[in-house]
Amino acid sequence: MIGDVPRREQMSPAAAQLGVISGLFIREMLTRVGRSRLGILWLMAEPIILSTMISMLHWLSRSDLPNGLPVFLFYAMSYVPFMMFRSIVNRGSGSIQANISLLHHNRITLLDVTLARNLMEMMVCATVIALYMLVATLFLDEPPHEPALFVFGLLLSALLANGLSMVIGSAQVVWEWIEHLVHPFTYLMLPISAAFFMLSAMPPATRELLLWNPLVHVHEMNRWAMFGDRVTPYYDISYVLLWALLLNLVGMAGLRVARPRLSISD
Amino acid sequence: MLELNNVWKVFENRQGRKEVLRGIHASFRRGQHVGILGRNGAGKSTLLRVLAGVEAPTRGNIRRSMSISWPLGGGYGIHTSLTGIANARFIARLYGLPLQRTEEFVADFSELGPYFHEPVKSYSSGMRSRLLMALSFAVDFECYLVDEALSAGDARFANKCLEVFGIRRQNAAMIMISHNASHVKRYCDTAAILRNGMLEFYEDVDEAIAAYQGL
Repeated sequence: MIGDVPRREQMSPAAAQLGVISGLFIREMLTRVGRSRLGILWLMAEPIILSTMISMLHWLSRSDLPNGLPVFLFYAMSYVPFMMFRSIVNRGSGSIQANISLLHHNRITLLDVTLARNLMEMMVCATVIALYMLVATLFLDEPPHEPALFVFGLLLSALLANGLSMVIGSAQVVWEWIEHLVHPFTYLMLPISAAFFMLSAMPPATRELLLWNPLVHVHEMNRWAMFGDRVTPYYDISYVLLWALLLNLVGMAGLRVARPRLSISD
Repeated sequence: MLELNNVWKVFENRQGRKEVLRGIHASFRRGQHVGILGRNGAGKSTLLRVLAGVEAPTRGNIRRSMSISWPLGGGYGIHTSLTGIANARFIARLYGLPLQRTEEFVADFSELGPYFHEPVKSYSSGMRSRLLMALSFAVDFECYLVDEALSAGDARFANKCLEVFGIRRQNAAMIMISHNASHVKRYCDTAAILRNGMLEFYEDVDEAIAAYQGL
């Protein structure tokens, strides 16, 4: 019996990599869900509570939106993707030190850890978005205009956040003080990312300035994907893709630089 | 084969540079059971991490043509908030093992009984080391790196580990670090002493132990 060990299955490097990421993903989920049966609901509770509160505030203050846009959905559908961006970036800071014991397995790379964690975050927010879309369709008579485009938008902001989290995480290995700038940065991103206002309501000069921020493009696109021609969006997908590509490349290079500097010792 | 060629490991800290490994030359073959003796702070654990490929040497190079385990000891590679079975599944996914077979093997070898389904943080240290050894034996590594982990279980479990190493002897090497000469005598065929950042090999374990105790 003792000699009868499980044999490893032959697999390609890509399949092995996927195995590593799925193992890490499930571990992440188990850790965050905890052992209670309601854990999976708690995972979604945070984005739901926060976005509901924010949207309720705007709804109660009777904010006026043009073209009969629904107030609650308008804020909720922008806030959840922004929250995903924020939590991926915030978690990126310090994530290397927090997961350092995983690196005892030499097949686990920092990239695997990052991807598994961020994938998890994205799936949580995508589920909440899907839930809101369902509610919008069934109860509010607001079926999403282009749901697939919204999912693409979510993916874009996840990619941006993924790249940025790697850049920040690896920079922190060299300069520890960066940690203190991450939360202020993500906090200040909210007012300049057009999550809560539309570019069409801005003077042209401000609009041009805001369009330097790739997140603005994503939020504008998402709004059109949700509400269709009741909004006039300003976005350029190729500009966002360029940012996503750059951030991810720099981030991956950063992780490569950071890895040999890490000491796994306790 | 695991070969080290002039491997250095230098740490920079506030007191300046600390040279932990200063030019290690070694080669380990399948079927070899090597004990590495060293006093506390001699750099044994650092050497193990460098061997495992989880920390890069500052200088020199390492060639690996064996699959090498993670450093086994101190609970490395175990997730204490997860259950034993979740840890087994994690290892299975990580190393591409069949899930169910791995669960069975780990449950059987670790002898954890109902605790297999409890979070590892509720385990005693003996139970943890049994889980750790079961997890690592579930993967057919060609080289096991052991950080005194075998010592934590009781005598019967230690014998079981010896038995596994006996069966895997043709295929697997073991490198064990310890400050305890009697462990090395029990598990190893050859031994080396890590001293002043360098590794001295002895053909005979008793000779190495005598030299070590004379330090």
